[in-house]
Amino acid sequence: MSEHKRLLMIDDDPDFVSGIRSILEGAGYKVDVAYNPKDGFEMLESNPPDLLLLDIMMGRGAEGVMLARKIGKDPVLREVPILIITGIREQIAFLFPGEPVHPGFVPTDEILEKPVDPDFLLGRVSALIESSEKRKVEVK
Amino acid sequence: MSDNYKILIIDDEEVVLDSCTEILRGSQYKLATASNGSLGLEMIEEFQPDLVFVDLKMPGMPGLEVLERVRAYDATIVTVVITGFATIGSAVDAMKRGAHDFLPKPFTPDEFRLIIRRALEKRKLILETLALRKEKEMLRANFAAIVSHELKSPLSAVQQNLFVLTSELSGQISSDQLVRLERMKFRIAELLELIRTWLRVISADIETIKENFEEIDIEPLIYTAIESVNSQATRKDIELHVHLDQPLSHVTGDSGTLTEVLVNILNNAVKYSYPGSEVRTEAFNQDGEVVISISDQGIGISDEDLPHIFSDFYSGKQGHQEEKGYGLGLALCSRIIEIHDGSITVESEPGKGSTFRVWLPTCPNESQANEPAIAGFSSSQLEGEL
Repeated sequence: MSEHKRLLMIDDDPDFVSGIRSILEGAGYKVDVAYNPKDGFEMLESNPPDLLLLDIMMGRGAEGVMLARKIGKDPVLREVPILIITGIREQIAFLFPGEPVHPGFVPTDEILEKPVDPDFLLGRVSALIESSEKRKVEVK
Repeated sequence: MSDNYKILIIDDEEVVLDSCTEILRGSQYKLATASNGSLGLEMIEEFQPDLVFVDLKMPGMPGLEVLERVRAYDATIVTVVITGFATIGSAVDAMKRGAHDFLPKPFTPDEFRLIIRRALEKRKLILETLALRKEKEMLRANFAAIVSHELKSPLSAVQQNLFVLTSELSGQISSDQLVRLERMKFRIAELLELIRTWLRVISADIETIKENFEEIDIEPLIYTAIESVNSQATRKDIELHVHLDQPLSHVTGDSGTLTEVLVNILNNAVKYSYPGSEVRTEAFNQDGEVVISISDQGIGISDEDLPHIFSDFYSGKQGHQEEKGYGLGLALCSRIIEIHDGSITVESEPGKGSTFRVWLPTCPNESQANEPAIAGFSSSQLEGEL
């Protein structure tokens, strides 16, 4: 089933992206990449993927967090499951004192810390897509 | 020394105020005077002095009270009491209450200037300390962001590609090349782990692990931890014994960090063990707590080192150079256990070995203790086998 799924990855580190992309493409996913939040949001809006892989710490700031919040407010885009991939698990709590480690930006999201074990990554990607599809059926 | 220090003198004797003003005329200091305690306190707010002289014997508000109020308003203001020879005793009193120095009347201009200089040096030190403390807090707060970006990101990118290359190249490269790839992965994993540990110890936000607290069974965590030191133990011909009470009560906690604690202690146990000896892990229920005890027959910890081993950055003076730790592991362990409302203790005898014990309070709505453990194998099966 994975060959029909399309993923979007937003991350500003090309080396990290190529490592992840290779795993996902090897498993039959189609992977689009944006290297900055602006392009990423445009691609997300014009053609929502089955899952978004999002780095929350891009450039010098927490632009990824801002992007995740923006997606969470969009009634259509918030249905896209997000795999948040972060340098440090506690990143959000560090950047925004008082915020929980995993604030939950959209109904289906999860935090993974870099680097990610390939099998674990594939397991989480398919689990997230599955649970978001289940949710869509229930909502309907 | 910076020029614009502000000095306030509170004294009811006009002669004193006048002579002080005269002595400091033309100096780099800004001077203000007040003829009684209440006026003096009002001036403090508007003048914001660095140094305040207070006459101990004044009509109205007593000098000691003025002193206390100054300190309550801003404890970084340096205070000096002015006193007659007859009241040296009360000057000592005042210093016990935080006055920096005393100026006995009558005084010469040189004595006055000297006391001012010393008091302002003290003020400078206080301000510098405050600035440093603030800077340290900021560093702490920014540390996560800096570490993640400048150190962890490049390493993660390298590691991510090694993960992929290992599987993509398998079958195309020699087994020797594959081993070298695996070694690279291992070395980078160690470095990433080190950064993680530092980050967690230094960050004040380790409390955030409380968010992941849930009812957990300790048994699988113990086996995971033992598994992770297994190969190291085999290399040193160290036998790993396990004996767990059945069933162990559940505890409330975060399995990730608790496993980290056990791995850390077991790692040390194996690292500091003599080849051919054994490391024994036991766990039992005792008075509403689960106790996990890990003993080795290794080099032990000297009496000198023992009180400090849970402190930040402490790495024992004893032991061989190559066995030195990073000095953070046990500090982190003790913080993690503290957050779990538990405690960690150590007993040790140099040359004979050490026993670390971790106490964790049993989960309050402990109910599933009688269900079989999730791990899938019983401790009797594993006893002595690992």
